[in-house]
Amino acid sequence: MASPRVQMIAIVVMRVLIGWHFLYEGLSKLTTEGWSAQGFLLQARGPFAGLYRWMASSPDVLSTVNQLNMWGLTAVGLGLILGCFTRVASAAGLLLILLFYFCNPPFVGYFYSIPTEGSYLVVNKNLVEAAALAVVMVTDSGRFAGVDRLIDSLRGRRLRARPAGAADARTALPQDAA
Amino acid sequence: MAGEDDKRDPPATDKPPERPAEKKFDRRDVLLGLSTVPALGLFGYAWGKKRAYDRAQRPEGGEPKAAAATNVREVNVALLGAGAQGQVLLDAMLRIPGLRFRAVCDIWTEYNQRRAVNVLRKYKHEVNGYEDYREMLDKEKDIEAVIVATPDFWHAPHTVDSLQAGKHVYCEKEMSNTLEGAQSMVRAARETGKLLQIGHQRRSHPRYRHCHDKLLTEAKLLGRIVTVNGQWNRAVSADLGWPERYAIPPERLKQYGYKSMQQFRNWRWYKGMGGGPIVDLGSHQIDIFSWFLGANPSHVTASGGTDYHDPSTHEWYDTVMAIYEYETPQGRARAYYQTQSTNGSQGYFENFMGDQGTLIISESEAANSGLLYRDPNAPAWDEWIRKGYVTAPKLQDRNEVSEEQEAAVLDVRESVSPDQHRVPVVLRDPYHQPHLENFFDTIRGTAQLNCPAEVGYETAVAVLKVNEAIEAQRRLAFRPEEFRI
Repeated sequence: MASPRVQMIAIVVMRVLIGWHFLYEGLSKLTTEGWSAQGFLLQARGPFAGLYRWMASSPDVLSTVNQLNMWGLTAVGLGLILGCFTRVASAAGLLLILLFYFCNPPFVGYFYSIPTEGSYLVVNKNLVEAAALAVVMVTDSGRFAGVDRLIDSLRGRRLRARPAGAADARTALPQDAA
Repeated sequence: MAGEDDKRDPPATDKPPERPAEKKFDRRDVLLGLSTVPALGLFGYAWGKKRAYDRAQRPEGGEPKAAAATNVREVNVALLGAGAQGQVLLDAMLRIPGLRFRAVCDIWTEYNQRRAVNVLRKYKHEVNGYEDYREMLDKEKDIEAVIVATPDFWHAPHTVDSLQAGKHVYCEKEMSNTLEGAQSMVRAARETGKLLQIGHQRRSHPRYRHCHDKLLTEAKLLGRIVTVNGQWNRAVSADLGWPERYAIPPERLKQYGYKSMQQFRNWRWYKGMGGGPIVDLGSHQIDIFSWFLGANPSHVTASGGTDYHDPSTHEWYDTVMAIYEYETPQGRARAYYQTQSTNGSQGYFENFMGDQGTLIISESEAANSGLLYRDPNAPAWDEWIRKGYVTAPKLQDRNEVSEEQEAAVLDVRESVSPDQHRVPVVLRDPYHQPHLENFFDTIRGTAQLNCPAEVGYETAVAVLKVNEAIEAQRRLAFRPEEFRI
């Protein structure tokens, strides 16, 4: 078993990489004139297809969805890279990814005309990234390496005044590692 | 393991108690707190590289071009109508050097106008927004060219008034929803001596020009064209909506001839405003029929109706099938055209069939962009392949022949399949760009209009007659003088 510190560094590396991916997805949409999720939403399959089609149905809803998606991806990306509000960022990222996953789920019996770059059965890269974000979320690595550490310190007196034994990512880290 | 862990990180575990009470965080906190910031710097570097690469990949560049960097004379431009088509034209024009935008006019000030003005300001064009085009023509004395992309029933007043105000006009097709309107436009262009280009943009498309000038006129690859067919199939699409908070007030809608926001957004379907898909889509391709055949039609028969949509909101026909007859310089030809708005399969193309070859052509780069079939009885095309007019024939793939096909006896009445070639011309710019360039080059005196008012008028006559034939339920004749003003 690697030391908790090494474990935390690995998680930080993973967090930064996921953040990079989100940031680029967001920025590339923001800088593409007239980008819209409409085509993606209309390709929806699976149990929630109706919800996605509804999102694409009215210009009002669609433009809100587009804005939320573009800015959401960008903000989550920045949050994850910098380790700033890491838990909120990873939770929001998790939500976004799951929304993407359930739009085109690789379930048996659904067929897509756009080829995927790999072979998937139920589990695809979206789901793997979602699971990775869940790890980032529960380990709160921003408090180990990230702006959260500074925010935490600024409010530190209050936090440290809490009863001993409260989990502190800066020191205790994954609790089962001890 | 456990022992190692205990020793591993004394500073981290010991830190909090040692921290001096007055300091909020120490050097270690700052280092770790900002440790991932370099990743953001690295991202910024990669992002910059990627943007530079993308920019270099665009031959014309989507970036605003300083007119000073080019040697062409700057033309002052106004956009009249900033809806969906206005934006398509605007996107194309932003790639053309030597244009200076001065004004945008759209009655949907809350949405279309604001968006177009914002886009243009982003590209460093100082533009004023107008709701009333007359006010724009009065105030903007410097404008040299007006781009009209309003609904069809506004084309005639917008174009005629702009021409009379001394501007050159590029007007979207269909020229007008009425022949009277179209005639007034031709006359205004003649009287004022100003240029009027009609937006049948295939007339400037390099692939269409190559086919017309080189393949059909010079090389005569098809021999005599006897039959033509074409289609534009479009999948069902919902009526256009609008964000409720940006709806135009009813008084303003009424002032400009619309009963409701629904009608304003979906004017193409309403009688007295547009002409339905046969005019919106068919017009482009029926224009090519006449151009490639070198003749206007002599007769038309048509069937159509609002078969699928709600006739109360879709007054014009959603399904139209028309048959034209032509007396071309080479002899008689017939052309079938269909447009339907319930199934998009096989898209849109025009198919010219001569006694020596076939040409399937489309504006689309994705499908049917330009295929040629040489009839086995026709003279060899090797000379044209060497000249680069057509590609070498596609090699027949033995694997494509199934065992069943090989076993089948070829019926003696079946024709031998022809060789397949491609038209080697690809347009990488937006579809409307060459036609707009042709207009601006003509203003500068370095070109001639590819679709002047008279040509647009001939097509309007040919196309508008289809709706007439559907109502009349019989074959209608064109008098040759109908095409002239």
